[in-house]
Amino acid sequence: MSPTVAYLLYALFALGGAGVYLALPRSQARPTHVAGLLLGAGAIVGGLMLLGTYVIAPSSTESSTNFFFYLFSAIALFAAARVVTHPKPVYSAVYFVAVAVAVAALVLLQGAEFLAIALIIVYAGAILVTYAFVIMLAQQTGVSVYDTRAREPFAAVVLGFAAMAAIAGRIADPNALPATALAPATASLVAGAGEAPVTPDAGAEAQAGNTISVGWSLMTKYVVVLELAGVLLLVGLVGAIALVKKKVPRDVGVDPEAPLGQIGKEVEPF
Amino acid sequence: MKDEDVLNVDDLQPPLNTAERFYLPILYEGMVTTVRHMFGMWGAGKRVTVQYPEQKRSLRVENYRGVHRLNKEWYRGEDGTRQERVACVACFMCATACPAHCIHIVADESPWDDREKYPVRFDIDELRCIYCGMCEEACPVDAIELTAEFDLVGLSREEMIFDKEKLLEMYDRTKDIKPRKDPKITGYPTTADRLATAPAADAQAPEE
Amino acid sequence: MIIEWLKTQWHFSAVLTAVVAGVILGLVAYASLFERKIAAWCQDRHGPNRVGFFGLFGWRLWGLGQPIADGLKFFVKEDIVPAKVDKPLYVAAPAICLIVATMGFAVIPWGGVVDLDGDGQWDVRCQVASLDIGLLYLLGLGAMGVYGVVLGGWASNNKYSLYGALRGTAQLLSYEIPIGLAILVAVLMAGSVRLEEIILAQVGEGNCWYAVKHPIAFLLLWAAMFAETNRMPFDLPEAEQELVSGYLTEYSSMKFSMFFMAEYTHMIVGTAFLAVLFLGGWHLPFIPWLQPESTSIFAMLCKMAVMIGKVVFFMWLYMLVRWTLPRFRFDQLMRLAWQKMVPAGIGLAGVAAIVVYIRGSEMSLWREVALCWAGNVAVVVVAVLVSLLARQRGDRVTGRQGNLPAVPAAGSGA
Repeated sequence: MSPTVAYLLYALFALGGAGVYLALPRSQARPTHVAGLLLGAGAIVGGLMLLGTYVIAPSSTESSTNFFFYLFSAIALFAAARVVTHPKPVYSAVYFVAVAVAVAALVLLQGAEFLAIALIIVYAGAILVTYAFVIMLAQQTGVSVYDTRAREPFAAVVLGFAAMAAIAGRIADPNALPATALAPATASLVAGAGEAPVTPDAGAEAQAGNTISVGWSLMTKYVVVLELAGVLLLVGLVGAIALVKKKVPRDVGVDPEAPLGQIGKEVEPF
Repeated sequence: MKDEDVLNVDDLQPPLNTAERFYLPILYEGMVTTVRHMFGMWGAGKRVTVQYPEQKRSLRVENYRGVHRLNKEWYRGEDGTRQERVACVACFMCATACPAHCIHIVADESPWDDREKYPVRFDIDELRCIYCGMCEEACPVDAIELTAEFDLVGLSREEMIFDKEKLLEMYDRTKDIKPRKDPKITGYPTTADRLATAPAADAQAPEE
Repeated sequence: MIIEWLKTQWHFSAVLTAVVAGVILGLVAYASLFERKIAAWCQDRHGPNRVGFFGLFGWRLWGLGQPIADGLKFFVKEDIVPAKVDKPLYVAAPAICLIVATMGFAVIPWGGVVDLDGDGQWDVRCQVASLDIGLLYLLGLGAMGVYGVVLGGWASNNKYSLYGALRGTAQLLSYEIPIGLAILVAVLMAGSVRLEEIILAQVGEGNCWYAVKHPIAFLLLWAAMFAETNRMPFDLPEAEQELVSGYLTEYSSMKFSMFFMAEYTHMIVGTAFLAVLFLGGWHLPFIPWLQPESTSIFAMLCKMAVMIGKVVFFMWLYMLVRWTLPRFRFDQLMRLAWQKMVPAGIGLAGVAAIVVYIRGSEMSLWREVALCWAGNVAVVVVAVLVSLLARQRGDRVTGRQGNLPAVPAAGSGA
């Protein structure tokens, strides 16, 4: 990748950052909203084209894959921008779902079916439903002040986009990774099958699909990480129970033989 | 609020026993009952629906309060033959008794010797009527009666105002099903008879 | 010629999609008639029996025209969008519900593999998409199905709808866990998450349906499926009596109808899922056309008929249960999921894992079944013991909520 392209990439990220900054919700009504969206859209399109030209396109043989890559990338980027810029929290959650689904589709395009569906089940199915649940419980009518105003928009945008630019520059740099292995490496990395075959029957691996590959690599190569994650989740679970557990007297003072009027006498209110 | 006023509904229920806690035995019992009714087995499942336009439920014709009719009666004509005429004497008792004010009568001098007036027009707004039967009770000559006809339909409000001809036609349609009420002939108990035979039931008012 | 064209899986899938979509939408429409008929029969009534086909032949045909009349009615009724709803989400919610529910048909194996030209080699699978992750795909759709309920309830800007949505969210999230655990039993036994391989692992020599091997897991999945489809003992999100239909309250016309169709579609997918996982899918024992070896077109049609027959049977059970059991209260619902079904599911998954470990590669069917049954019985025995113990301790299961304020008796005045 020539320096020109790299600078173009960074410039596009700067543009995108400026667009998102302008589009972030602020208290006063302003006409920059549209401009921000336009800038953001331009940055998204430009970034996509750059990425498509220098990273994905050379390794991709099917044009349909290419098309869907652009489609889902655009959906994901647009939805991601709306997650942070939409003033209504419920819409942010819905856009987050869209991001999760679009990213799952991108992962699916790379042949990692298991990861894609796991992303949907875990993110869209569990975490974001809980978000939506909490948002609905917390705020039933109207839009509150703290939702319509971004906190520290400048710092957040600069930090976020600088980090993204750094990562993208690194990925797009042919010296950082072997150019031939770019897309396949990504695919096998997420599928967990990039290493030397650990399945008992290497020939059957291609047919067995990546669910089995993921299972094998999780239970052999990454078993310690897996167990650690399990322990971490358990600790989180125990902690959550410990936090919410109040000592609730169970049927306090209720004597089944007592006359009806006495029942519930010592039950405390909340 | 005093504690004595508190009544916790949950404590009125018996606790579940071990089988009930698993729900499945209970589910099985319930399903047996449901299936019995569904397939009509073992004495259950007799269909109770009345297939309305084809089948009609048998009503107690004597005291069902449906559409009105205006009764006819026989009289001896001037040439000595039996002729029919409207039984109503246009006394306005029914119109007076009507709580819904749905009876409108225009009276004129009767052409017959045995009565002074007869109705030239007799209109009942069947949409206003509440089918309470007060007109029937008020009538001194049992000329207006409620029939067991309940499927009363029409396409306009005007159509539902029954005039004298329609009410008389109603009598022709229903006279075989429900003979004209005449205490002396049919033996129906009058209001006075009923009050006389059932004094205790009315006297016992529910407490509070 | 057309056979040659159909020999490409892609072409076959397209045709199958059209057929399945037509059949299923018809089935969904007739499911509502079926439901009303069964409701009527259970209550000693006749049910809808008036609508024929435009007076065709002068027959009423037992009301078979009713779904068409209903559909027509839904199309031409006024579509009310209340003034203060959140319009984009209000409109999107029924669509999400229906789309997600319908997507489930893509992976259901309706009729095994088919040999179209009769050369002894099978050509296509009678399945729209044979995914490597078929089972997980269905689980993912189940997870996405919550959004229709949640967004519909929230966007309606109605307190009853919101209550329905909240209940729906909590319920669906909770019952996905027992479902996942019960599924895990089948997955462990079959060693695959491909639906057609799970069927193949249940049929043929030396195999039997998992409902025979793991009856308790089957019951668990069946019961949890009721909750997942919002059916009667678990229909708290809709709860006509308390919540005036919950998240459906503000919907009318075709949007309401879409929620309705989504519910029935969900039921059909759920029952097909149950049939595939525990009842051998298109398989019935001892009938030659229903074995995996027979791949003729006739056999495919037989298999599809059997699959649909199983679906209809379970739909019938769904409807019977609806008229048998009253609705759970919310705390009972949660207790059932977390305190009963989840531990039982964990136990059963453990049993399945142990069975898979012990059986290795060679074990006769009888010994394996005996092993599975021992495990299932052990789970039941433990559950009974725990229940007895709780009874000894005097825990009351009538559902008294100890920390709630007392309810004032009527007329006492606060």
